[in-house]
Amino acid sequence: MENDRLEIARLYHRFGFGPRPGEFKAALNNGLAATKAKFLSVPTIDLGAAQVAEPNITNLGTRPDKKTNELIEFSIALRQQVKDLPLWWLDRMALSDHALTERMTWFWHGHWATAIGKLNHAYPMYLQNQTLRKYALGNFGEMTTAMLSDGALQFWLDGGENTAKSPNENLARELMELFTLGVNRYTETDVRELSRALTGYQIERPSGKVTFNAKRYDSKIKTILGTSTTFNGNTAAAHLVAQKDCAKFIAERFWFRFISSQIELPSDNSLEKSFETRDISKLVGALTDSQILSNPNYSIVKPPVEWFVGVARYLKLTPSELKTPAQLLAYLDRLAQVPFNPPNVGGWPTDESWLSSASAQYRIQFAAWLVKQADLSALAAIAPNKRIAWLQDELGVLAFSARTRLALDGVKGTPAQLLQLAICSPEYVVSA
Amino acid sequence: MDTLSRRKFLQLSGAAAVGAAAPLLTMEDIAHAAQTRPLPLGTPILIMVTLYGGNDGLNTVVPYTDPLYYSMRPDISYEPEKILKLDDQLGLNPAMTGIKTMWDQNKVAIVRGVGYPKPDRSHFTSMAIWQSGAPVTRLSSGWLGRWVESQAVDPMLAISLGSVLPPLLAGEKRSGSALPLGGLVIPTGTFAKDCQKLAKVASSDNKLMAAAATSMRTLFSVSNTITPVLKMPAPVADDLPTVNGGNAGGDSNLAQQLDVVAKLIAAGSPTRVWSVSLGGFDTHANEANAQAELLGTVSAALTRFASQMKNTSRGKDIVTMVYSEFGRRVKGNASQGTDHGTAGPVFLIGDRVKGGFYGDQPSLSNLVNGDLSVTTDFRDIYAAVLEDVLKSPGEKILTGWKSKGQYF
Repeated sequence: MENDRLEIARLYHRFGFGPRPGEFKAALNNGLAATKAKFLSVPTIDLGAAQVAEPNITNLGTRPDKKTNELIEFSIALRQQVKDLPLWWLDRMALSDHALTERMTWFWHGHWATAIGKLNHAYPMYLQNQTLRKYALGNFGEMTTAMLSDGALQFWLDGGENTAKSPNENLARELMELFTLGVNRYTETDVRELSRALTGYQIERPSGKVTFNAKRYDSKIKTILGTSTTFNGNTAAAHLVAQKDCAKFIAERFWFRFISSQIELPSDNSLEKSFETRDISKLVGALTDSQILSNPNYSIVKPPVEWFVGVARYLKLTPSELKTPAQLLAYLDRLAQVPFNPPNVGGWPTDESWLSSASAQYRIQFAAWLVKQADLSALAAIAPNKRIAWLQDELGVLAFSARTRLALDGVKGTPAQLLQLAICSPEYVVSA
Repeated sequence: MDTLSRRKFLQLSGAAAVGAAAPLLTMEDIAHAAQTRPLPLGTPILIMVTLYGGNDGLNTVVPYTDPLYYSMRPDISYEPEKILKLDDQLGLNPAMTGIKTMWDQNKVAIVRGVGYPKPDRSHFTSMAIWQSGAPVTRLSSGWLGRWVESQAVDPMLAISLGSVLPPLLAGEKRSGSALPLGGLVIPTGTFAKDCQKLAKVASSDNKLMAAAATSMRTLFSVSNTITPVLKMPAPVADDLPTVNGGNAGGDSNLAQQLDVVAKLIAAGSPTRVWSVSLGGFDTHANEANAQAELLGTVSAALTRFASQMKNTSRGKDIVTMVYSEFGRRVKGNASQGTDHGTAGPVFLIGDRVKGGFYGDQPSLSNLVNGDLSVTTDFRDIYAAVLEDVLKSPGEKILTGWKSKGQYF
């Protein structure tokens, strides 16, 4: 039963952005098998996510030349779109009924980490987000092909600058190192050869449209990982995805982000085999196996976005309706994690990186700001003596320590302070 | 968050911090009130400046008389007359005027061709290797994090600017602290006491929960001592013009980080290692302008910092080290940029530094797979920094690597 509680807590916090009110306790009653099955079966229509209107993010075209009213309008629209985009996504994360799809989209965003800063336009990032969602639980090979036609990724890694005449290795290197194979599973010659295969792409910036220009494409034979043929982007991508190392690498990345970034993926794992057909949903299924989820050693720190969305889901807050949304983005920025703006192509850091003294401070302030805006009547209706145990179930915490129970006991008469401390406690910040 | 609003946030919070300082405290007040143990005068202080993205060393310290430099980089080489000449072979990027001035004062050591065995061209692996200081054994802790662990517990000992701690300062069990720009504002009153109850490590905590609790404890101890100091104005750099040419503005993030560092050093913070950083050096395309702008920022920020510190009793104690995870490929690519390479120069700056060149300049006619050969192992520099600046034996921290002296 204790192990069921651990596994169910992990399902909620790692695969679903945390429980809504009453959800965790209901899941405990329904049992582990039923809860897991519910997590893994994605409904065709998610009514919660469907409430979130698509954002007004459009192709704004090129920047008007001179100091005209047009330029002012353009700049205002651009700024608005850049702000609306992360709020729209945070709303989807907080409001979707079956959070796994958004959770996986969020994982893939950190995997194919593209930042809006270099592009300046929201529109290509919005398109990329749709691609990531479309394939979030689909086929990794298809996802990789689609990403090579993604304008945001191509522009981010200078794909348009990579021509037959003189290759630019940026995309080729990261495609192998960070997206499909993992570092040191290829040679420097493979990087150079792959960059030749990836020539010919051109990116139209505001629209993010990717076209193929045969004149810039290197049509000669390339040798990549021991195979020699006239590779192009799509065939090279398929070649990389078909490598055994690809299954190994994606299994490692899932392990690192969902299970533990402290303890390495054991060599005798079932994940690689589950990914034989490159079906992402099968890999997620293998990841939620009890052998893994019940191991008490695999704790992980919730990155700021996951911590925030967890709190928002529990407090029934809609991110874009907080007072003010700009303040929300400022808090996430101080905690160093804003959607669509990863620090670099390797994505966000993990675990201890989120536990600096500075983030502790911001988390306390952020928590106070969120709790102030929430309806706490359900907590207030519980007798003070029962509130700590009740919150432990509501928040899906495995077990508050004696330390935390003592701290919470001091404020149990004040629902707002009680909740603020509870969501800043080590037991909530860290998924046990 | 886009850079504009980030900058705006920084300006706003900076202004608020200064404005809120009702009575301006003296150094003595702060030292007393905040119960700091001010750093004894004459204690060397290390400033680590990390350039993220792989700075192109060949366009930082330019071999401006080598014809191969021009033939291999037709699009992105600097004309000889624009170079800030250091000797008859090498010169600095035209944007680095401030560092050139310090070089002329014999305060800059340039270590050439710095790297490590079997160079890795991945940003992440290579930066991890540089920050861990362990290219062969691959440790997960940082070399300065291990130094922190060799010292008595003090959350003020090593501080990184920004809210995310770099691996550089991460130890196995204890780490340096992170300090966001704008400073720390801690909860006060009874609620603060309740928060502090959460800051104790519980016996049932796993490693990460213990770290979460410790981060709160560090918050309270660091912020109690640092917050009043941050309300002080930064030391004045009275020998610099208020508006200076191309790099004016002083609004770069690096300058902001160094401003906070300057304030805290001037106030006597018992901190012996500071870590600051600047990103954006991954110049695969259109390198010349982008890199010159970044190097200009580094040069101007460090010059301003040195000038600020000169007016304090700590000026002579500061040693600044500037490094990046790798240099770039010698040949330019088609997009007026360069791809990932290997060796690059490391700068050591300060009154304690013996100025001049160290290590051999990698030859352009003797490349290894199109890349510069490594002529100096970074552990030589780390070992000297540990022994001569941090006064600690380097061998244990650097898995047996011995200092060869020089530089200081």
